[in-house]
Amino acid sequence: MDDVENDMNRELMLDGNAVAGMLHDIFASEMTASPTECANCGNVSELGGLLAFTQAPGAVLRCPACENVMVRIVETPNAIYLDARGAVYLRLQRPKS
Amino acid sequence: MKRPLEWQIATVKAIKPETPKVKTFTLTLPNWMPHRAGQHYDVRLTAPDGYQAQRSYSIASEPERSGEIDITVERLEDGEVSSYLHDVLVPGDQIEARGPIGGYFVWEASMGGPLLLIAGGSGVVPLMAMIRHRAAAGSTIPTRLLDSSRTREDVIYWDELEKLRTAGAGLEVFHTLTRAQPPGWTGYSRRIDNQILSEVIKPLGKSPQTFICGPTLLVEAAANGLVQIGVKSSQVRTERFGPSGGTS
Repeated sequence: MDDVENDMNRELMLDGNAVAGMLHDIFASEMTASPTECANCGNVSELGGLLAFTQAPGAVLRCPACENVMVRIVETPNAIYLDARGAVYLRLQRPKS
Repeated sequence: MKRPLEWQIATVKAIKPETPKVKTFTLTLPNWMPHRAGQHYDVRLTAPDGYQAQRSYSIASEPERSGEIDITVERLEDGEVSSYLHDVLVPGDQIEARGPIGGYFVWEASMGGPLLLIAGGSGVVPLMAMIRHRAAAGSTIPTRLLDSSRTREDVIYWDELEKLRTAGAGLEVFHTLTRAQPPGWTGYSRRIDNQILSEVIKPLGKSPQTFICGPTLLVEAAANGLVQIGVKSSQVRTERFGPSGGTS
């Protein structure tokens, strides 16, 4: 963990688009064009533009600027766990009425 | 957009080989709704013992075609879903699908241009949806596609791209073949580098709307290269593919 380069396998890296379906399950709305801010470096990016790692029991979303872990999602048969402590905020669009 | 994302039972209407490793599957959907070019569907397979495998596949077809979508899928060596689709599925079969999904990597004719599209291997699929949508919408927005493939026979949609290119509606297509080139090849023959990027982008000015899709290493090289030659990173949208046995 002391070397970010060793910590991340860039060959396996996807982006937030790859977890669009999972995000839709959680928030019941389209999230990939929604902005979010990195709690580590303050970079604002859309969720679809985050770096994604999905070849694990859960999905990990990292900041494209500083590679800080922003969001982790784990699905079990009965529940979805969402850890978004690396994001200052997530933005949910209100449905147009 | 607020709506539940429901799984539906898609029926395979047709299967068309595109290249030795790539096929297009036409799926009819009972709850079809128009997508935005660049979006994808999740496809889910369930084994008799309940084991499920799920993958995301970009939509290749234009939203103007109603009731059905095309997905174009590369057969990956260890791909448990893509190998099933390629080796087992026949027209008439049914699979689970949900979508359309995604709002980040999308382009619609109303978003304007000019448009720079950069693809590696099957990364051309969502860009083809944009090109087909552009044609179906009658758009003449200046558009350039830079498409990187290993060999001539690995180029997906060659004939259709030639047809659209020569139709005179402002689409230009540049191929680079990174592994082998046929005799008399006049296109590029190396991995995408800053010189190729500079040549292709030149007539589009410094800030075309740019979409890059392909394996991670190609996406990074192209996105970093564009920023180095002066394109604003906010103009560049990327979609990365999982490992596909090396980069094109």
